[in-house]
Amino acid sequence: MSGNPLDKRYAVLGAMLIAPTVLVFCAVIVYPLVSALYLSLFTIFTPTLRGSFVGLGNYAYLVNSPEFWRSLWNTLLWTICTLALQIVFGVAAALMLHQNIVFRSLARSLILFPYFVSTVVAVLVWRWLFNDLYGVMNHLMLMAGLIKMPLDWLGSMPNAMISIILVGAWKYFPFVVIAVLARLQTIPDALYEAAKIDGAGAWSRFVDITLPQLRDVLVVVVLLRAIWDFKEFDLIYLLTGGGPIIATQTLPLMVYKDAFGLNDMGRASAVAVSMMLVMLSFMVLYLKLAGRDERESQR
Amino acid sequence: MSKTISQPGHGVSRRAVLAGMGAAGSMAAAGTMPTPAEAQTVTLRWWSPQTAPAQREAYNFQIQTFEAANPGVKVNFEATSDEGYPAQMAAAFASGQVPNVVTHLPSFAVSSYWQNGLLEPFNDVINMIGPQNFFEGANRIYEVAPGQYAGTGIGGSAANMMWLRTDLMREAGLTTPRTWDQLRAACQRLQRAPVFGAPLPYARNSMTSLIFISFVHGAGGSIFTPDLQVNVDNDAFRNALEFYKSMREFCPPGATNYSWGDSLTAFVSGATATGIYTGRVLANVTQQNPRIADFVTCQPYPTISTSVPHWTFNDFPSVMIPKGAPNLDITKRFAAHLFRADGYIRQLHAAPGHVLPVLKTVYESAAYQENALIKKYAADVQIMSQQASAGHNLGWETVRHKPNTKAGQIIASHVFAEAVQRYVGANEPMAQVVSGVARRLDELMRA
Amino acid sequence: MKTIAGRIAFNLFAWTVVLVTAFPLIWMILTSVKPQFELFRIPPTFWPEQITFEHYVRLIYETPFLKYMRNSLILGFATTIVVVVVATLGAHSLVRFRYPGRERLAQMVLFTYLLPSVVLILPLYLMMVWLGIANTIFSLVIAYTTFALPYALWLLRSFMQGIPDDLEAAALVDGATRMEAFVDVILPQALPGIISTSLFTFILAWNEYLYALVLVNTDEARPLTTGVMSMLVSAFNIEWSLLMAASVMMSLPLIIIFAFLQTYLTRGFGAGGVKG
Repeated sequence: MSGNPLDKRYAVLGAMLIAPTVLVFCAVIVYPLVSALYLSLFTIFTPTLRGSFVGLGNYAYLVNSPEFWRSLWNTLLWTICTLALQIVFGVAAALMLHQNIVFRSLARSLILFPYFVSTVVAVLVWRWLFNDLYGVMNHLMLMAGLIKMPLDWLGSMPNAMISIILVGAWKYFPFVVIAVLARLQTIPDALYEAAKIDGAGAWSRFVDITLPQLRDVLVVVVLLRAIWDFKEFDLIYLLTGGGPIIATQTLPLMVYKDAFGLNDMGRASAVAVSMMLVMLSFMVLYLKLAGRDERESQR
Repeated sequence: MSKTISQPGHGVSRRAVLAGMGAAGSMAAAGTMPTPAEAQTVTLRWWSPQTAPAQREAYNFQIQTFEAANPGVKVNFEATSDEGYPAQMAAAFASGQVPNVVTHLPSFAVSSYWQNGLLEPFNDVINMIGPQNFFEGANRIYEVAPGQYAGTGIGGSAANMMWLRTDLMREAGLTTPRTWDQLRAACQRLQRAPVFGAPLPYARNSMTSLIFISFVHGAGGSIFTPDLQVNVDNDAFRNALEFYKSMREFCPPGATNYSWGDSLTAFVSGATATGIYTGRVLANVTQQNPRIADFVTCQPYPTISTSVPHWTFNDFPSVMIPKGAPNLDITKRFAAHLFRADGYIRQLHAAPGHVLPVLKTVYESAAYQENALIKKYAADVQIMSQQASAGHNLGWETVRHKPNTKAGQIIASHVFAEAVQRYVGANEPMAQVVSGVARRLDELMRA
Repeated sequence: MKTIAGRIAFNLFAWTVVLVTAFPLIWMILTSVKPQFELFRIPPTFWPEQITFEHYVRLIYETPFLKYMRNSLILGFATTIVVVVVATLGAHSLVRFRYPGRERLAQMVLFTYLLPSVVLILPLYLMMVWLGIANTIFSLVIAYTTFALPYALWLLRSFMQGIPDDLEAAALVDGATRMEAFVDVILPQALPGIISTSLFTFILAWNEYLYALVLVNTDEARPLTTGVMSMLVSAFNIEWSLLMAASVMMSLPLIIIFAFLQTYLTRGFGAGGVKG
């Protein structure tokens, strides 16, 4: 990277420029982390924030709690499925929008719409579409003869999990589109021309040229989206509230319920800390794998 | 505006961080700064989760009349929400920046906050309103110790009224059902595509829990014994579950996600032949589906047999004053002002029949009765008022019961809604469901 | 090359996909102009039998909708400016300066996202009270900065890595100071990246729900997301007509802005070659 010899003299200026960032990071890492770790060792009544020390009692409770393990499983299932769909649809849509189609700007803007519409609005509109009596989804499917009775989209399993995964994919795939589209625009046309001369078909051009070029951006996008999906609260909370029973209750919903429904801030913090540990271990593993791949591919 | 805000923003965000680091670990110590009030004027903060546009108008009237009568006092209305209030109240209590008056939270929130020493005594306000003006027993649920009140009701609601369509009933030659068997038979007759029999909720939410609790009482049981021992391993509890399950075939497929709003709309739109709701049905039918407005009526919800009396669920929307609220004297006067006839009646008329008066003087007044809907449905409003004044909820199951301060947490834990979903949706065996409920209730009561 | 027929078929296919994706938007608009009694028709009507704008009129004249809109705009712009200023300086420092811990810091960026926002709420609220700014738009600006900054920083850093060193070096040789070089040389080069980052930040601030639900509850500071929710959706009732009208008004401005700015959105992301 930058090998400017002047750099060392300016270390102080550099530190000053980064200082606000570091301070904000401390606010979002150090302070909440310390307070979450601290609170997780207590039984705390949320409205008063008073409580008694229980050591690792909250964690012991979680290890033996089927609800915690089920919520963890739900979180993983939701993250993996919705993320996979986001990537597949996102890459496909980006390839499509990279082509010359009529009114391309408008088409792109409409495809990006789900990402910038607020989650609250998106969820309410989907609930309206899914409505069993007045919802247009059921009506269209009834008309097409796909179903005989209106489907219960959000209240029974496995429909509820499928619905949140689909809405999640719809809401966030445009993020992948943006990133991939941006990268596509920087792939030199010469590469494709050369491959065409070599007689490569459309598919093998995609596999041999496009995908490797997209690799970097996809590694990062997967990481970012995985973290955000793992933490997703609004969408699931507003769509199913975690039901039926606890079939779609993910860890963030459990944190919310423990903290403000059951007024047990201590246990909520313990869930949050556990959740963080799970994410951290996945992240380290992922970065290691991605890093090794990169070194191998460069060899 | 945005530009001027952004520049200082940069600097303060640094300070915020430093502050945060300093405060880490000693959260309770973090400031108890007084509300920044403007010099000379006293500002009161009023919170409520009920904020439909029509209700807001009534609140504004009450605020204006209070401000006019008390120069130098300013009242800010701040809307909280049904989902948001636990977190916001927690934040307010933790920081010491509490609102002056909080209205419309369920009565069990009052007893739970009182139990933890978070509320001011409310006797003065009740005396200002005049205890003799209340309906008999209206304040019993707030009497946390003999003669000691933690709050009062701002209204009553009869949440589980059975709503019927007289036109459909007549067509099918049916009379008003009194027992569960009769209700099931009626639903059977009335269910003809695309009309379903009933809009009972089978969701993981508080409505399902509350309706289920009302069924347990409708089966002649109670969730707790009068001295608050868990009391679910019995026939009444099983019969309630059984009845809930038997009604599933009469409810729309999406009932697994129904809350109050969906259930209400299903009846109002004519999608179901019976309904279960408060008097808000009246206003909504008039606005949204005038076609059936002449054919709706309500009755107390049936019970397992004629020997078991009706049990009406009333969440007793409350008024309370959090501990540490500044300007206590004016605050108390404002709380009492909310019950002054002119403003109070406007508030009640914002949703006629939904929020019922707790003051019998108001109920009997011509000004209250002078409302198109209350006149048109006089008989229904009267039944609901009677039922509401004899109503109960999990915080106070029967007159013999001690107040249950854990009621809020129990509802929020969804233990009853989950029991319904386990038994009806997932077909788990009865014994397993009942023992699961008993175990979790024990846990919650001990926590 | 491609035949005309193939091209038309591809266009049809592409636009079908686009319209299916945007269907909720279309349905939102259609529902918002139906009179209330037409909403609960079984089966639902597709085209409104009667078009009415009464819901829009009610929303604007009888509710605090415009106040919430104003708050959301202030909140969105203020957050964007704060975040972009801090992130641009930070990214510049990370890319062009040398000091101990620099690489570590760059890697740390993503770790800031690990803690779920639900547990941050109470500590943040107490912080706001301590600062004496609880229940103001300003408190939300700070809260949003904490979660928008890491991503903005990461985006800008990868973008700035794509700007050649030579440009700045040339300016320094000409006698400019580091800051002058930054302002005159780096900033113009980084502009597409800055615009793109601004758009992402604005979206985050415009759409956030949970913090706004808990941290703020006066109408003076409440943004659209929670304002519309608490006004129109209660446990007792959902005002579908007003809700759909509100949704349209919350979305259309963004769609129009983005139709013009979306090239920046993708250009800023791509130019530097996205690196981790």
